[in-house]
Amino acid sequence: MNLNELTIELTISTSLSLGRMLAAYMLSLILAIVTGVAMARNKYVESILLPILDVLQSIPILGFFPAVLAVFITTLGPVAGGELSSIFLIITSLVWNMIFGVYSSIKSLDPSIDHLVAVYKLPLIHRFLYIYLPASKSPIAANSIISWAGGWFFLTSAEVISMGRVEYRLKGLGSFIIKAFEEGSTTAYTTGLLALFMVILVSYLIIWNPFTMKYTGTRTLLGFMKAYDVIDKALSKTWGFIVEKVVAAYNVVARVKIKSTHIIICSILPLLLYQYHTRLALDNSLYSKILEYGVDFLRVAPITLIRVYLVVVTGLAVSILLAYISHTRLKLGKMIVMSGEVLSSIPAMMWWPILLPLLKGFPQGIMMFVYLQGSLWYVFFNVLIFGISSLRESIIELSEIYNVKGRLYLSRIFIPSLLPSILAGGLSASGGAWNASIAAEYIMLGDLTVDMGGVGSLLNKQAEAGDILGVLSTSFFMSLVVVFINKTIWARILGKIRGYYVVE
Amino acid sequence: MSSSKNYVVEVVGVSKSYISGGREVEVLKDISFEVGREFVSIIGPSGCGKSTLLRIIAGVEKPSGGRVVFNLNRKPIIGFVFQFPTLLPWMTVLDNVILPLIATGVEKSRAIEKARMTLKVVGLGGFEDFYPSELSGGMKQRVNIARALAIEPDVLLMDEPFSHLDPLTAESLRSEVLDIWLSSILPVKSIIMVTHNVEEAVIMSDKVIILSPRPARVLKIVDVNIPRPRSRKMPEVQEMVDKVYEYVS
Repeated sequence: MNLNELTIELTISTSLSLGRMLAAYMLSLILAIVTGVAMARNKYVESILLPILDVLQSIPILGFFPAVLAVFITTLGPVAGGELSSIFLIITSLVWNMIFGVYSSIKSLDPSIDHLVAVYKLPLIHRFLYIYLPASKSPIAANSIISWAGGWFFLTSAEVISMGRVEYRLKGLGSFIIKAFEEGSTTAYTTGLLALFMVILVSYLIIWNPFTMKYTGTRTLLGFMKAYDVIDKALSKTWGFIVEKVVAAYNVVARVKIKSTHIIICSILPLLLYQYHTRLALDNSLYSKILEYGVDFLRVAPITLIRVYLVVVTGLAVSILLAYISHTRLKLGKMIVMSGEVLSSIPAMMWWPILLPLLKGFPQGIMMFVYLQGSLWYVFFNVLIFGISSLRESIIELSEIYNVKGRLYLSRIFIPSLLPSILAGGLSASGGAWNASIAAEYIMLGDLTVDMGGVGSLLNKQAEAGDILGVLSTSFFMSLVVVFINKTIWARILGKIRGYYVVE
Repeated sequence: MSSSKNYVVEVVGVSKSYISGGREVEVLKDISFEVGREFVSIIGPSGCGKSTLLRIIAGVEKPSGGRVVFNLNRKPIIGFVFQFPTLLPWMTVLDNVILPLIATGVEKSRAIEKARMTLKVVGLGGFEDFYPSELSGGMKQRVNIARALAIEPDVLLMDEPFSHLDPLTAESLRSEVLDIWLSSILPVKSIIMVTHNVEEAVIMSDKVIILSPRPARVLKIVDVNIPRPRSRKMPEVQEMVDKVYEYVS
């Protein structure tokens, strides 16, 4: 391939990947807003979706992926099916925190706004356009930073999809880099990586960072405000126009009240569950088999549990340290966050050429690296972006006046102020770590396989053997553990902290 | 039993109770009064259910017993001044004021016209494009009032509208609301204000309804026949304040 061809190929691949990312982002955005608002405003939807999402967020979606792929590809063919599968996979890596962001911010809307809505009888469409959507803007901005990185991180997995023995490759930057790596073409590999860096860097500098700075008031980010303002103005204008037309159209059309759909959902779901249950109940051997999987799971669960929380604690320690540095030196802080944005976006696959030499001699290190890559960033962004900006001027002033410095400042002022975001980040990070176990505990590169044991490794082996029931059972048990820990430990700590730390 | 057409609002035997921690809590007990084309204050100890009563009149909450009747031959238009300004921080002053208008289907240009007018009335002409965060507490409360007036309500309900303002701002806002009310530039027929400030009630209203502690009953309805403009220094006002205090305490 000469330089010209390479440039053309690279441009096409980059645009295709970017297109996929944007499509996935837009769909996630719609999904997040609709689901988040519905959950926050409707108790039935909340009681059904919240536990489901809790599970979905923490379990390795990759485990279920072959089934989803099969559906897409057999029904839509390899081209459209492959494309949709890829977008679907990217969505699974960026949508969850966006949903939770919207949900919690709508949920914590000032109750007097509900009162306002009731007194002036604002119709649903008005509530949505004038209250819920604008209120979602800052959580969307905040979470887009994390999600966008998550999307790029999964890009290679999303463009090279394997289904058993068959492999579908979609044209894109991810598959371009993998191909270059496999073919040993250094020029293609480095230019591919360079293009990836550029796209990630530019998208953060002119879109996500300014977007977040504008709507959350955080200061620890690097970005070109002027370039963003042009985009923001254009979008706001278009949006304002759309809102006006929608409201006008609504006012013209007779105001038909639509009954909420949750009644249908509520009636169908138990029915499905019941049917499923009776079918399972018929098959006694199935139960005993699942039980066997349960025993297998219990055998490997402790080691993964320890690794997960070791990773979470490491992530917390690193993030708090970096946060302190950023807090004392804002310029350095901006560089740290920017580096984090790039590092967190680099797809897993891209690390291998660098890490390969280490794999044989120091497999634990590689495992921890993969774990951290899937977990650290949740704490990192939460603490470095939102934690630091939640430090109050008045509290900083107070500690200056009374000369509170050093360790005292760190333990009495800095960490307690950051605690809500440290915990929120820690919770997501533990979900991320569980999810990362599947990639971290069983690494296959060419003819080299490193098996570190644990739940992730078990899932990998079951998937490789085509043991669908095994994958499902293990994922199910893992979800149980995750939900149990979330509900008993995390929920309690978070509840307590929220009570104490509402600074007025 | 027959209702006189002179009354704009009739509250007939309204009670309210709710279940809390497995026990039934009675908040309002058999409350009845009428409101004509006048300014009425409802006064009572804090926590006695005044705000609940106001919300029942607004139609936002359902009473457990009794009813609220409006003698208007159509659905009443109700303006509500909240205790706190309750402005949407992402909208300008103007957008906050036109929101209820647009929700009732008023065309945008017409809504803007009305909003500008009421903003001028409350002394905020020129602040249309400001965001709530750029306003002082008193100004925010003015926007709250302008929003309630912009929909041209038949009945204006006010829930302790001046209780969270500094004394000077509260004083001037009180007289502005009275001016608007007395000048009849707006089609407001009645004002019902909930307050725990006796002096405020006496200076502003034609009638003071005194409620008992929980469960609230009507203890006494006092007509305030003092010529306007009133001031706190007037002996009649002092006397009336003392009289109302006797019932409250």
